[in-house]
Amino acid sequence: MAETIIVGISGGVDSSVTALLLQKQGYNVECIFMKNWEGDDDSQCAAEEDYKDALSVCDHLGLPLHSVNFSKEYWDGVFQYFIDEYAKGRTPNPDVICNREIKFKAFLNYALELGAKKIATGHYARIEKSNGQFKLLKGLDQNKDQSYFLYLLGQDALSKSSFPIGKIDKINVRTIARDSGLSNHSKKDSTGVCFIGEQKFFKDFLKKYIPSEPGTIETINGQVCGQHDGLMYYTMGQRKGLGIGGGYGKKEAPWFVADKDLSRNSLIVAQGHDHPALFHQELKANQVHWIGGSLPKKLSGLSAKIRYRQADQNCEITHITQDRCTVKFDHPQFAITPGQSIVFYQNDECLGGAMIDVRN
Amino acid sequence: MPYFDHCATTPIHPDVLEKMYTVSKNHFGNPSSTHSSGRKSRAIIEKARNQIASAINASPSEIIFTGGGSEANNMVLWTLTQTEKKHVITSAIEHPAVLKVLNHLEPLGITYSIIPVNSHGRVNADNLKNLIQSDTGLISIMMANNEVGSIQPIISLIETAKSVGIPFHSDTVQVLGKIALSVQEVEAHYMSFSAHKLYGPKGVGFLYKRKDAPLHPLVIGGGQENNLRAGTENVPGIAGMGEAVRLASENLTKRKEHLENLESTFITQLNQECNKVIINGCPNHHLPGVISASFPGNRSDILLAKLEREDMEVSSGSACGSGSIQPSAILEAIGIPEEQNISTIRISFGRENTEEDVIRLAKTLGSITRG
Repeated sequence: MAETIIVGISGGVDSSVTALLLQKQGYNVECIFMKNWEGDDDSQCAAEEDYKDALSVCDHLGLPLHSVNFSKEYWDGVFQYFIDEYAKGRTPNPDVICNREIKFKAFLNYALELGAKKIATGHYARIEKSNGQFKLLKGLDQNKDQSYFLYLLGQDALSKSSFPIGKIDKINVRTIARDSGLSNHSKKDSTGVCFIGEQKFFKDFLKKYIPSEPGTIETINGQVCGQHDGLMYYTMGQRKGLGIGGGYGKKEAPWFVADKDLSRNSLIVAQGHDHPALFHQELKANQVHWIGGSLPKKLSGLSAKIRYRQADQNCEITHITQDRCTVKFDHPQFAITPGQSIVFYQNDECLGGAMIDVRN
Repeated sequence: MPYFDHCATTPIHPDVLEKMYTVSKNHFGNPSSTHSSGRKSRAIIEKARNQIASAINASPSEIIFTGGGSEANNMVLWTLTQTEKKHVITSAIEHPAVLKVLNHLEPLGITYSIIPVNSHGRVNADNLKNLIQSDTGLISIMMANNEVGSIQPIISLIETAKSVGIPFHSDTVQVLGKIALSVQEVEAHYMSFSAHKLYGPKGVGFLYKRKDAPLHPLVIGGGQENNLRAGTENVPGIAGMGEAVRLASENLTKRKEHLENLESTFITQLNQECNKVIINGCPNHHLPGVISASFPGNRSDILLAKLEREDMEVSSGSACGSGSIQPSAILEAIGIPEEQNISTIRISFGRENTEEDVIRLAKTLGSITRG
């Protein structure tokens, strides 16, 4: 009998085509729909819609579909972290933690328990085995590459995972879906944090979990220029929603979040996108993780992304311990954000990364 | 693919299908029309009504066609919003089509008390007495449970209700076609039925309503069903249900024996295959062919997926869409600890299952749980 591979199917086009491609390759494919959030009616409805899409696709392809609920694991392993980080005034990235804790841990273990040899997901990334090591490579569609979100995976997870669409451009993924008659071929890509949905609900959502403490907005010179609703609602480099018009101050240029002063509960802003207070050339990060399991021997030609979809920035690691590192960029970086991940690359290979702690 | 989930639904009987096909093809008339086409359709639904009434020893005027068992339950419970006494007594192991409805009706003034069940999934008639209040307007207790198959001491429960003059409703969706049911013996005021649980079509059912019992319509409009259920009748569905009920009634002994044989073969084999299996429910009073079995250490969703890989279909808890492994509320109510709860599957046999099927099921469960 063919090898069993279990696909995490979301109802979206990427994971659907993942299942389709593996089926065409002759694997015994089964799909699992994960439910990771028990929410209000809106998110419940969205999950129900996604489930229906997954069901239609599996029915069309003749694949079994199972459901599993990891909402407890998600709450404990991802959401608590998310809330804790926001409460500390940082801007966390729940998706990287979700991949480590849910998709490539809880889900992977579940699939193995069901008798699968491997799991597959619809990520735009590639896995390559060389010299007994599993390497994580960028997806070939540079515009969709999702290796950034996968930097916390280790050798064990990579050895049991497959990303079939990593070699394909998004546009071709949609074409394959359409040509194969998948009903969700033109379904919109999901954006935003999965359990919140649209960005406009973000503030209301956070308010439910973290008490907000209003304070002053100050310029980098210490001049009070407005009021904020709570530091957690703002992120570095943010422009919209500050409530101070471009007209405030001498120039007409817009204002940006430059820093958060937690001790005084003040939001520090700077005027103009190119303001030097918005740029830093060095950062310190912790929770260092290497995909190969240890510090790579060769760190020449190193580059990094400090946010998803950013172009690779040349840098070097100037100091490193087991858990912490200091990184210096060739060029100053706009809005380095504590809580976000810095992910290291050598050309197409994702080496690992760390959580940004402070900027220098 | 051998199918062992007949409490969820059943495959349609070929004679029922034939009946529905013939009716759909030849008789399109609206039963409310007075011309020949209409009269023919009306005759078809009245024939079905007679078949159904005779199967449960009721009078045809006591049969009201609905869109299924849930609707029948709803009609009875919503009626309370328009009558004087607003308190309902129900059991802890009712279907959501009773418990959720009561919860939903609370803002409309309905209150309710829940009678616990024992570890066999049965209600004690003495407990019922203690919950009766001066404003109790209805007692609603299912005759047989859909998850563990336990059958309630329905006659003594009804006796209790009768002694204090409170109307009694029973969700009997799982009963018809599995055990004998006569309204002369089970003197409830209302009983809810569904066609698809007995090899009939989906989306059609009926309410038995004793002549003297009050009932208010949920769906208002035309005068169908004696003004109790508006909307042009589902003629082929009702005809199919009539046929399904007739077949169930005529073949009751045969079907019951078949289910009992399958069950005993299966249990014997299962005990040989799995030494840790626990059978839940009531050993003496349960629906034939309905088995709730726990396999400690094996999550039910994994069991289901592995059985499906061997082409066998069973269920766990109640069926749901984008589901989860929430412990079953019914198993919780009968006092099953959580770990056992989430390792429980429901197996429900049917007329098309064979001895070989159930032996293979037991053997497969054995090999899966042995790992």
